[in-house]
Amino acid sequence: MGFTKDSAAAAAKRDLARRLNVEESEVDVSSTSDSDFPDMSLGAAEKGEMSGQMISSGWTINLKAGGKSYEYRASRDQLRAKDFQGKNYKIG
Amino acid sequence: MNRSNFWVRIMIVAIVVTFAAVLGQIQRWRTSLRPVIQETSQLDKKPRRPKRPRQESEPEVLVRFKPGMTVDEIRAIAARTNDRVEDEIESVEGLIAIDDLDNADPTAVSESYAAMSDYVVYAEPNFEIRLDPQPNEGFTKDLVYRERPIGAPNDPQFAEQWALNNLGQDGGKDRADIDALKAWLTTQGSQKVVVAVLDSGVDYTHKDLVSNIWLRPENLPQYTDDELGTFDDTRGFDADATIGDPMDDNGHGTHCAGVIGAEGDNNEGIAGINWKVQIMPLKFLGRGGFGSTKNAIEAINYTIDRKKKGVNVRIISASWGSTSRSKALEDAIRAAGDAGILFVAAAGNSSTDNDKRPHYPSNYNLPNVISVAALDRTDSLASFSNYGAKTVHIAAPGKDIISTWLNDDYRSASGTSMATPHVAGVAALMLSKSPNMSVEKLRERLLSSVDKIDTLNGRTVSAGRLNAAKALGK
Repeated sequence: MGFTKDSAAAAAKRDLARRLNVEESEVDVSSTSDSDFPDMSLGAAEKGEMSGQMISSGWTINLKAGGKSYEYRASRDQLRAKDFQGKNYKIG
Repeated sequence: MNRSNFWVRIMIVAIVVTFAAVLGQIQRWRTSLRPVIQETSQLDKKPRRPKRPRQESEPEVLVRFKPGMTVDEIRAIAARTNDRVEDEIESVEGLIAIDDLDNADPTAVSESYAAMSDYVVYAEPNFEIRLDPQPNEGFTKDLVYRERPIGAPNDPQFAEQWALNNLGQDGGKDRADIDALKAWLTTQGSQKVVVAVLDSGVDYTHKDLVSNIWLRPENLPQYTDDELGTFDDTRGFDADATIGDPMDDNGHGTHCAGVIGAEGDNNEGIAGINWKVQIMPLKFLGRGGFGSTKNAIEAINYTIDRKKKGVNVRIISASWGSTSRSKALEDAIRAAGDAGILFVAAAGNSSTDNDKRPHYPSNYNLPNVISVAALDRTDSLASFSNYGAKTVHIAAPGKDIISTWLNDDYRSASGTSMATPHVAGVAALMLSKSPNMSVEKLRERLLSSVDKIDTLNGRTVSAGRLNAAKALGK
């Protein structure tokens, strides 16, 4: 995939808009920050997924839509929705 | 008296006075040297050996003469006993390097000069300082200021492997390591031992791993699964049957493999805990470093099959996990234990108590499972490491661990992923010494031979740090 911080944030916006069935313009990026995650699933493994237990660098992307906050996690090679309605999702 | 006669007489007087002064000085010299000459005659009694050519001699004695002694006087002293002034050390008044051309014992020569107490402040032999002794005879300079201890491998990045030999480098704590040097006095590993690295694959072409990669024996047929078909397992297993090549496309598995068995003492990169071993790559984690429980089970199934068909694979190193529990995975790991395979698993990196919030597969309460927490170079539990008084068994170095990476590279990484292969590697060392040791005994010895660390009390079962030497009985 080859994400950058900005392209990951844009992809997160698109994904959240799709999940919430709203326009992208209704989703705001609150913050994007460099982060170290506890594993290679960026601490957001899907159910039944196993991942390497190596500290992995990436970005935490905080979004806001309809008054609620949502968290995405990304690295150069992946994008994940963390705890979206109680579940983690790997995007793409 | 005319003017010209006056000046002639003045010149004659000047010449006479000058001549008298010179004569007086010579007399003084002779007077001062007389007792020295008498003393130096004693030096004739020093043991004599055949004279060496001048250019072959080394300054053997450093002598500091008293203030006021000139170099000429000192040369005269030295010449009387067939010594010569090698060099005047200008920064220290009176300090002279003297070369004994008779090749006499430096200690005896220095004592003879020291006896000239009227002229000498002190005298000492010119001690040899060896910076680069022969291997296994002392210390060898390595990198900036650290010295390579006896028995250390010649791998150029060994000094950065604090986990194996912690000298306090980079803010570390002296001796907070697994005592690898002492362990290697007993064994450096064996290619009769096979360690399966269940991970993202291994870069089996890495120059520091290539000699330690398992190859399927020619007399062992390819692996066949009734449902999945035949796998080309020349160098291990890839759970993705469509690819069938356990080449690492992430790096994580290669890093873990290097900790266990990067070739040691090959003047390349790092040294694994086992300088010689066979690493069996088992790939189930994909390029992103994550994979399915089902594929992990397939890889364990493969390992058990190979074990039953004669491959001496005794250890699975599993630097992965999640909070998802799988009964099927637990059953597969149990079956591996029944087949005599130790399963070493990472405890996880969420800084949580695994007694309360389980992490799998490390939390499976099976007799062949060892759960591993991570330590940093100061012997503290790494800030990210999970722990558990009942469910995390042992701690090992897991922060800032340098090891092999893709494409002949090396990289530092952190995680209980890195701690896990340290335990797997020591287990392999133990098997190289005691090939028939049972899984139960392996596990018991590893946990009972730790170095106790106070801060691990109540945080791990063994309350200590992995110690390779003690695990081998040293």
